[in-house]
Formats: sequence, C-alpha cells, structure tokens
Amino acid sequence: MKKMYQLFMMGAVALASGVTALSASAAQGSCSEPIVFGTTISETGPFSTLADRWRKMTEVFAEEVNKGGGIAVKACNKKLPLKFVIYDDQSVPATAVALYEKMATVDKVDFFVGPDWSSLGGPVPPVAEKHKIPMVMANVATPSVYDRGLKYSWGTPFPVVPNWSARYFDMLTKVSPKPQTIFFITHDNPVMKGITATWSKKAEEQGLKVLGNETFSSELKDFTALIAKVRAAKADIIYISAYDNASVPLVQQMRQLKVRAMDVHHTMLTGALSRQVGKDIEGMTGELSWYPGVKGAYSELVETVMKRSDVSMFDYIWTLGRLTSYLAMIQGIEKAGVVDREKVKEALFKATIKSPAGDVSFDERGFPNTGAFTVQMSGGKVNVVWPPEVATGKLIWPSPSWN
Amino acid sequence: MNKSMNAGIGWVVGAVVLAALASLPFLGNAYFTTIAFTVLIAYILGQSWDWVAGEMGYVNLGHYCFYGIGAYAFAILLVGQWPFWLAICFAVAFTALAALLISVPLFRLHGDYFAFATLALLPLMEVLAYNLTPITNGSDGIVLPVAQVLQPAYLIALGVCVVTFMVTLRINASRFGYALKSIRNDEQVAETVGVRIAPVKRRVLVLSAAFGAVAGAVQAWQMSYIDPASVFGLNVALVPVAMVLFAGSGLRWGPLVGVLLLASLQQWLLVSVKGFQATLYGLIVLLIGRFMPGGFLRAQWVQQVPWVRSLAREHHEYMRKADPKGSTTAQARELPLSRPQNLGAAPLIELEHVRMQFGGNVAVNDVSLRIQPGEIVGLIGPNGSGKTTLFNCISRVYAPTAGRVLFAGQDLKDCSRDQIARLGVGRTYQIPRPFGDLTVLENIAIPLMFSAQPLSPHDAMREAQAFVEYAELGHRQLERADKLSVQEKKALEFARALACKPRLLLVDEVASGLTPAEVQRFVEHIRHVRDRYGVTVIWVEHIFSALEKVVDRVIALEQGTLIADGPLAEVVQNERVLSTYLGSSAPPSPKAGVQKC
Amino acid sequence: MEVLLQVLIGGVLLGGLYALVAFGLSLIYGVVRILNFAHGTLLAVSGVLASLAFSSWQMSPLLIAALLAALIFFCAYGYYHLLLRPLARRSHFEATVGTVLVTVGTLMILSDLTAVAAGATQRNIPLRLEALELGEIVVSTTQLLILLGIAVLTAVMHLILKHTWFGRAVRGVTQDPLGAEICGVQSTRLKALTFAFGSATVAIAAVLYVLSFPVDPYMGFGLTVKAFTIIVVGGVGNLPGALLAGVFLGVAEGLTGLYWKPEWAPALSVILMLLILVAYPKGVGAKS
Repeated sequence: MKKMYQLFMMGAVALASGVTALSASAAQGSCSEPIVFGTTISETGPFSTLADRWRKMTEVFAEEVNKGGGIAVKACNKKLPLKFVIYDDQSVPATAVALYEKMATVDKVDFFVGPDWSSLGGPVPPVAEKHKIPMVMANVATPSVYDRGLKYSWGTPFPVVPNWSARYFDMLTKVSPKPQTIFFITHDNPVMKGITATWSKKAEEQGLKVLGNETFSSELKDFTALIAKVRAAKADIIYISAYDNASVPLVQQMRQLKVRAMDVHHTMLTGALSRQVGKDIEGMTGELSWYPGVKGAYSELVETVMKRSDVSMFDYIWTLGRLTSYLAMIQGIEKAGVVDREKVKEALFKATIKSPAGDVSFDERGFPNTGAFTVQMSGGKVNVVWPPEVATGKLIWPSPSWN
Repeated sequence: MNKSMNAGIGWVVGAVVLAALASLPFLGNAYFTTIAFTVLIAYILGQSWDWVAGEMGYVNLGHYCFYGIGAYAFAILLVGQWPFWLAICFAVAFTALAALLISVPLFRLHGDYFAFATLALLPLMEVLAYNLTPITNGSDGIVLPVAQVLQPAYLIALGVCVVTFMVTLRINASRFGYALKSIRNDEQVAETVGVRIAPVKRRVLVLSAAFGAVAGAVQAWQMSYIDPASVFGLNVALVPVAMVLFAGSGLRWGPLVGVLLLASLQQWLLVSVKGFQATLYGLIVLLIGRFMPGGFLRAQWVQQVPWVRSLAREHHEYMRKADPKGSTTAQARELPLSRPQNLGAAPLIELEHVRMQFGGNVAVNDVSLRIQPGEIVGLIGPNGSGKTTLFNCISRVYAPTAGRVLFAGQDLKDCSRDQIARLGVGRTYQIPRPFGDLTVLENIAIPLMFSAQPLSPHDAMREAQAFVEYAELGHRQLERADKLSVQEKKALEFARALACKPRLLLVDEVASGLTPAEVQRFVEHIRHVRDRYGVTVIWVEHIFSALEKVVDRVIALEQGTLIADGPLAEVVQNERVLSTYLGSSAPPSPKAGVQKC
Repeated sequence: MEVLLQVLIGGVLLGGLYALVAFGLSLIYGVVRILNFAHGTLLAVSGVLASLAFSSWQMSPLLIAALLAALIFFCAYGYYHLLLRPLARRSHFEATVGTVLVTVGTLMILSDLTAVAAGATQRNIPLRLEALELGEIVVSTTQLLILLGIAVLTAVMHLILKHTWFGRAVRGVTQDPLGAEICGVQSTRLKALTFAFGSATVAIAAVLYVLSFPVDPYMGFGLTVKAFTIIVVGGVGNLPGALLAGVFLGVAEGLTGLYWKPEWAPALSVILMLLILVAYPKGVGAKS
C-alpha cells in the first residue's frame, strides 16, 4: 500500500514539476484571463463561529464586482473579471499552510487575500513571502506578526488596537457629568489584552484613574468573584475588553448582580452579543467599524453584497475586515495598472486605500490604521453616537439602564 | 533461504522509497512537500503513541501534551537565540523529564481511569500555556523568526520517521517489547513470571514523549508560530489516535498505513468536497469503528487480498524464526532445568504466623508451616478457606498483615513480586491466565527472558521449545493463547510456570475439569519434575485421588486456619477435616489420630 | 462575607450544571462501560436545538426540555442498538477501540451537521427575570430557577434509581456486573435503556445550561472532559457523589477566582482530579 502510494506520488510529482516549469510565466500579465484571488475561510472548527456565511459573501462579492465589468487594468485597457479560489482551513494552522501552498503551486492563483485570526496569521505569511505573492490578510490583529520583516503581507483588521477606542475616549472628554474612574475587565486573548494595555494608558493620560484590571479566560462561566471586585471598586466607567461570545455570561451576570456605572463599554458590541444577552444589553456603548449609514467609498457595493448574502455588519463585525482585504487588493491592482505581482507589491507598499469606513493607510510593516465609530444600544437598536457629525442617534449620558 | 532473500528485497525497496521521499522537496512542488510533511509528523506522533497504547495497552489520550511541551520548549529556546540543534535537544530532554515526573502519579491508574486522566491533561496544559505568560508569552503565542525551512524540516522529519520505524522494529524484537506485551495482557501475572513492570512503564512513556516532542519542535519550526490553542487544542488531540486505530493499533504497518490513508483522505476531502467534509470524515471513522474495530487491517476481508495481507501481519508473525522442526522427541522431553546442588536439611519455604486480613475479613489466620526441598505437599480445604490467598502471600501478590514468609532462609518482606519469581517461585492460577494475545511459544518464552539468567527473545523461544513439547502443545505453539481450550490453557500455565525455573512450584487446582487420563498425565508431570529436577511442589487440589498418588503429605485449611498437617492417610481421617468437607453428619472414624496443628 | 456567599451560590449553580452533564455519563459508564466521547457534543447540539426552538417558535423552556428529552431518548436507544451493541460481542480490545472510533466519529458528524444546519455562531436562551436582593446579596432569579431545576432533576433521578425496577437493575449492574447477570437482569435491554436515559438527561441539562451560558456546536468535547473529571472524582455510578463532586469543583473554581486569579480556575478541576486519582486510583468510593 505504502509502496504503491509512493510510486504514484513520484509519478505525480514528476508530472507536476514538468507542468510547473512549462507554465511558470504564462499566468501573470495576461489580459484575457480572470484575476484569481486565493483565500481560505474557517468554515469549520472553533473559529467558524466568527465566520458565518463568508463563502457565500465572497462569491457574491465577486459577482457584484464582475457586474461592473471587474477590476480595471490599465495595461490591458479594459476590466478583467475577478475569480476566487476558496478553501476551508478548518481553523487548523497546518491545514491553512498546506492550502496556501496548494493555491500557490497547483491552483496558481494570482494574489492571496485572508486568512483571518492570529493562529493562522502567524504561519501563513511566510508562504506568501516564499512564493512572492502579495497577500492582504483580513482579521489578523496581533502586531507581533507584522514585525517579522515580511515584505509581501498586509492586513486589514478593523479596527487596529491603537485606534480601537479613540473616538470613545474622545467622547469621554466631552460628556457631562465627567467620569473620573475606570475599571477594565479583559478577556485573555492577545488582541483584547493589547487593547487594555494601550487604552488603560491613554485613559490615565486623559485623567481617568484606573481602579483595576481583571482578566478572565475564555472558559470562565461563573463571574461572581470577578463582578464582586468590580462592584467593590465602584468605578464610573466599566470597560469590557472581550470577545462578544466569551462575555455573554459576564454581561448577564453583571445585570443580575446589579452592577452600577455611568457607562458600561464593550469593545465588541455585536449582534451576536445583543441576541444572546437580550434586553440586558440596553444602554451599553461599544465600537462598530462601519454601518450602512456611513457613505464611504464602495459603500454601495458592500451593502449589496451583505444584503444578498444575508450578513449583517452588526452581527458579524469581522466582515468589514474581510471585505476590505478584497478591496485593498483590488485597489492595489488598479493602482499598479498591470496584473504583475511585483508591481502590485510596490503599489501596496505604504499605500492609502479607500474603504467604506474611510481611508486606510498601511505603514511599512503592512499594518493599517483602521478605526471605529462609537455606538450605543438604545431601545433595542444600535445607534452611532460619536463623532456627532455622523451620529444616527443621540448619546444618552449617563447610561439609562446601568446607572 | 527464501526469507533472507525477502528481507533483502524489503531493504532495497525501502531504500528506494526513502530516496524518492527524500528528493520530494527538491523535485516536487511545495504543496506536496507540505502535505508529506504533515503526514510525516502525524506518523511520528501516531507510532510513538502506539508504543504505549498498542504495545503496552495503556491508552494515553493526552499524547498531544508531549507534542505541545516539545513545541514550546523548542520555540522558547530558539527565540532566545540558542542554536537550532541545542533547542531540539533541550525540547526532547525537557519533555522526557516532564513525562518521567507525570508517570509517577499516572501509572497508579489503570484502564479507563488512565485514559480519563491523560485526556484531562490537555486542557490543563492549555491553561498553563495561557497563564505562565513570562515563559510562554500567554495568548500572544510565540513568534519564531521567519526562515524558509520547509526543506530541512521535511528532511529532519523524514529522518525521525525512519528512526521511529526502526525503534518500533527494535522494540518488538527485544525483551523490552515482550515486557510491554505481557503488561498489556495481565500485569499481575507478568510480575509473577519475573517482569519488572514499573521501570518498563516509565521507560516507554519517556520514549514516547521524546518522539512526540521532536514532532512538536520540528513542526513549530516549520510553522514559525505557536499559540496555546494550536498545540494543545482538543480539536486536534485525537487525530493521531484515530489514525492509528483506523488501520490497526499494535501492528507493524498499522500506524503508517492509517496515517497515510486518513491524511490523504483529509486532504482530498478538503480540496474536492465543498462542505460536509468533517461529516464525511467522521462517517468513515465511525464505520470503521462499527464494522472493523480492530482497525481495518484486522478485518476478515483483508486476509483475502494478497499484498494488503502482508501489511496486516501481527508482530509475532515476524518472530517465526524459531524453527518448529528440529528436536527429537527424546531430547524434547528434557527440560533445561538444572538440578539443585544439595537439597539440604533447611526448609525451602517457611511461613511463620502468617496472617492476611482484608478489612474485617481474616483470610489467612496465623498459619505456620515448613516445607522441605523436594517435598510434594497437598493443600486442601473447602472453598474460601484461604488456599489461594496463601499462595498470593507467598508470591507477594498480597503483603501479609502479620507474620513472615521465608524462602530458602530469606525473608521475603522487602522483595518485589518479580524478584520472588527470579528467586525461584513459579505458580499457576486457578482460572488460567495466559497472555491471551501472544502465542503459546511466546507465553512460555517470556519467563525465560526475564529469569535470573535472562535470554534474548530468540534464544528464549528456542529454549521454550522443550517446555512446549513437555506440555504437548507443539502442534499449537504458534497459535494465540486465548484460542486454546481450557485443558490446553492449563497445560500452558503449567509449562509457563516451569519456564520460571522454579525451585518451588505453586499449583492451584489444575486438575478440575480434566478427564481421568489427563489427570493421570498431570500427576506424572508433577512427580517427574520433583524426581528429575528436584522441584518442590505445593498443590492445591480437591481431587483426592490425584493427590494421593503423589503427595508426601497434606496440609488442610479451614477458614484461614491450619487444621491438619501430615500424611494423606491420616489427614483424611482427621475429624475436623471430615466435618469441614462433609459436614457434622460424617461418621466418626474408627481410628483415633487427631493430628496436632 | 457577602461576596463569599455570592461566590458560593454561583459555584453551586455552575457545579450543579456540570454535575447534571456528568450524571448521564456516570450512568452510561457504570452500566454500559463505554467512554462516550460524544456526550458533551450531545449537550451542545441539544442546546442549539433548544435555542432554535425558543427563538423560532417561542416555546417555553419546560416544553422544550420535555420534547428534547423524548427525542434524544429514542434516538439514543436506536443509536445504541445499531452502532454500539454489536461491538459488545467482540473481544475486549476491539470493543474498546470500536466504541472510541464510533463515538469520536459521531462527535465530528454531530458538530458539523449542526454547524451547517444552524450556523456555527453561539446561541442561548435569553430569558430575563428580575433579581432578588437580600440585603447586600443579590440572587439572580434565573440562577434560582436553574438551581431548582437541578435539584428537581437530581431528586427525580434519585427516586428512579431507588424505587423502580430500572433503577435497581442499574445499581446492581454498576456494583456487580456478573452477579446482576446471574440474577437474571437482562443485560442488553438494560444497557440500551440506560444509554437512552443517560442521554435524555443530557438533553434536559442542555436546556438548563443554555439558559445561563451560550453554546456552539464545537464546545462539546471540552465539556466531555469536564464530565469525565467529575465522575472520576465522584465515583462511577454514584449520583450523589457526582453531584457533590460537581458542586465541589464549581465552588473551588469560584473561590480560585475570588482569592487568587480567575484565569487559573479551569486548571483547578484538572489538578484536583489528578490529585484525587493519585490518592484513590480507582476513583473515590470504589471498592478496592
């Protein structure tokens, strides 16, 4: 059995090598072929809870782009259609790596978009580097994976840690009564811990006294002890830096144990959280990277795609990160004017691209400066409340239900 | 002649395949190389798991812990600018040490409890990885410097796979392997035939951990990033286990075939099937479990397909080197037991006020007796009178609550069971306990491998031939012991006990269920071993007619107390003995003779 | 002091839920002697179904629990007869390996099908009730109801085990399989019933669970590990023991969070289990 398999493999390898050698230069730069983006989505496994219906969304995205003719390529004097090659990485890093290798060497995609999540954003970019294929990752927010001197990788997490609560803290300087103290509750996750580290410092600089920071693990279900400490501190602001799913019991128990504050802020106030905690979410503030009211570049496209694939930004807040990675790659190609990997790489270097939420600039590491709007839940609806120029509803301060 | 040619061809083919595999990263494309790499890693993990599970019978569901610890140890050192080889060696050493430490509490457990405990180690390790942030970087994970190391990682993994396979072959041809297999079948019996089980268990776990660690380290190197979830996650922990079980745990080619098939299947499903991949994968695993639970290599239909059948051979089929023909009948009757030099006047075995108590139940009550070398002593008493318990006190299956047991003048107090076996105590069991999944020949060879003058498996099997012939099991010697009839199992037990080269033989109710002719044969055997080889025998038996032909004297027990000790004729007339066996309505004997205890 | 009480109440609740999950597994393991790796996944899937029923049809949780329990009972009965019983005829080694493969395969299939059918995102039953304030202590009404549910379920199970034929047979087989068989307890039917009953218990536990905590199709295996921990600590087949062990673990996790650090709480149950197993290698309460 083993011997048969090995003979087969050798034969297949020989064949593939021959074919590879022949077709090495054919794909790139052609004006008659569609432009192929290769990506993996975590459709199964533990991360799949974050990526619902994304395959459909991606396919619909291609359809919508192609309705307008496709991607404008100056050197060809026309628009070329967009095609996706999509695989399921099963939330396993080794699988993702193998699949990107496949897309590079067997499927011969032109460019990479995705993947998401730090576990995959660590091992996968070296593959892009090896094959010199530009890759715009989506929701990879851990800064350290951008610090490795890789030249072919960018990322579009929405928002990035340094900008996460920028608008919220701006808002805090302008509300009355002014909050004096703040308490952090942090989910044990690199992004969330990064957020707490950055924003507790900024809070102090702003004159807010940090009364405490409690960390909890994803497994934790009973928050009684933690909430006891929070209640004892009696802070004006309670800042929950956590994934929505992990903090469902936290929010519910905070309600049941009658926690009081001027405001309870959640870094991932999503539809999933809202659905699961029900009315308990009333009056909380949070961050949202985009919403249909904000009319930025590509807004119509994004709105249509999401409506057709039945994905709501409020429900699945990682969606904008995903879609922006596609948009960034498209703009890179349009800016380069030719379907050539090196030219696109140059075009994307320290580039500023347009997104529905505004302009996004990449630094030399490929790390973006994406931000978010401050939202508040009132009457069961999510309203953008800051900055006031784009607000869809009035901020109610102090929080009506937590005070 | 044919065999060595086959072996030669095997080596050549193996070398060619290896060369092809080694050239893959240079000739093939990166995708195939990456797939092949994950298959290699899976094989290392699966095979090292099988040493503990398939060979020794302990299902370690937390094997992935060793992978994770190795990965972290390696990554921490590599990030700290240590040289690559040093980092790998450290990873292996550290994981081996961790395995040694955890083996102490773990091996207090058996069977399912062992499985539970090891399974629970994974989430524990994950939490440790998350929380020991100064060392492990917590949830951020460890980012290794990016180096395009697929080719060297692949080659190292290939090398380790070859070593893993070689180690498997070596284990199965060695005494260590037979120690593992005897533990798998029956730990207590293994000890009483001379196997020291505690060091064996530790060693195999450490070995298994070391290889698991290498797999973790090399894959971490290739991935260039690890975090707690990806190395300790429950969603990947059972994958190597399922792969080995799929094809056949405990077979030489089982892990390799299983890994190849399931890894290929997984890849194929990923790229060819849109959706329901996990369902299909799970369905295949489920069907194999339902219809071919020993692994599909052990299924009936496999025996029909020619070259697949050669992959399905059990390890002992490769040990068929001991030539079945050869010795003549006359020579075969001669057992390789030595005659003890001088029998001497000192008693061979002495019990002084031995008492065995379980909670409130006193099984052996203040028994003292003395047996001279060369005696055949019968031990009688109704059921529950403590006869088997007495045997267990002698072979140290139980440690007596009070009293001393002296063997050839030596107090057995601080002796372990295997030491006692090596001192010269052999025994059979009331219900035969052979090593079920080993052959008759192997069963008898094992005590020879672990005696005071240990033999290699090859030599032991050669010497075991004589015992096999003695037990008249020559025509069944290559069959599994659990396929024998009850009488054959008893003959096997007896032969195995003799193979312990005992000075004292404890025979526990061996004649029940045998025909009169078979009983007679047994009696002959017992007399023969005493007359020819000077073996002292204590024989527990209910069938007086058998005892009366051969015993020098008889000891009677009742509810743990010794009530008679003397020649058979006298003891059977003893009133207490009579009333114990027959009830108080027994007619009083005309002869007086109440024997003193 | 109030905080301590609060933590204790929370710990009892959480522990009680874990114990419920473990009940079914304990019964199944005690009678049928198989390690059901899909046990926790059954809870996850039941929880998803319960949440769907609540959000789509607004059924009351009580009704959902009853319907789910019945559904799971019949499915599990059939599952046992079709997939697990034939394995018992084989050798011990093959039976063990077979059940591992069958239950692991089932775990994969259940998770995947549920994720495809109902989506992989987390769900729960968001029932919001007013909390009771007793001085400084706040007791969530939901918590109380769930505690009540646990107590009722435990009491019912206890009654069944003590006073019905089924219960006596289960206890007999758990303590002495050979003896029970000799006494004429018909083994196969009992095993199938126990498997079905134990699985139905999980369905009810799932509804209670999903009232407090969210579930997703992939969380099952972690729960199975926890349940194994509890039955080891409490002793197999020993329901009061499992309850005590579950509560003990829940409270211990809470206290760890209060007096030390919350992030170490999940490690605690494993460490405790390992320590207890070292002291009692056959589990607490087992006869040596």
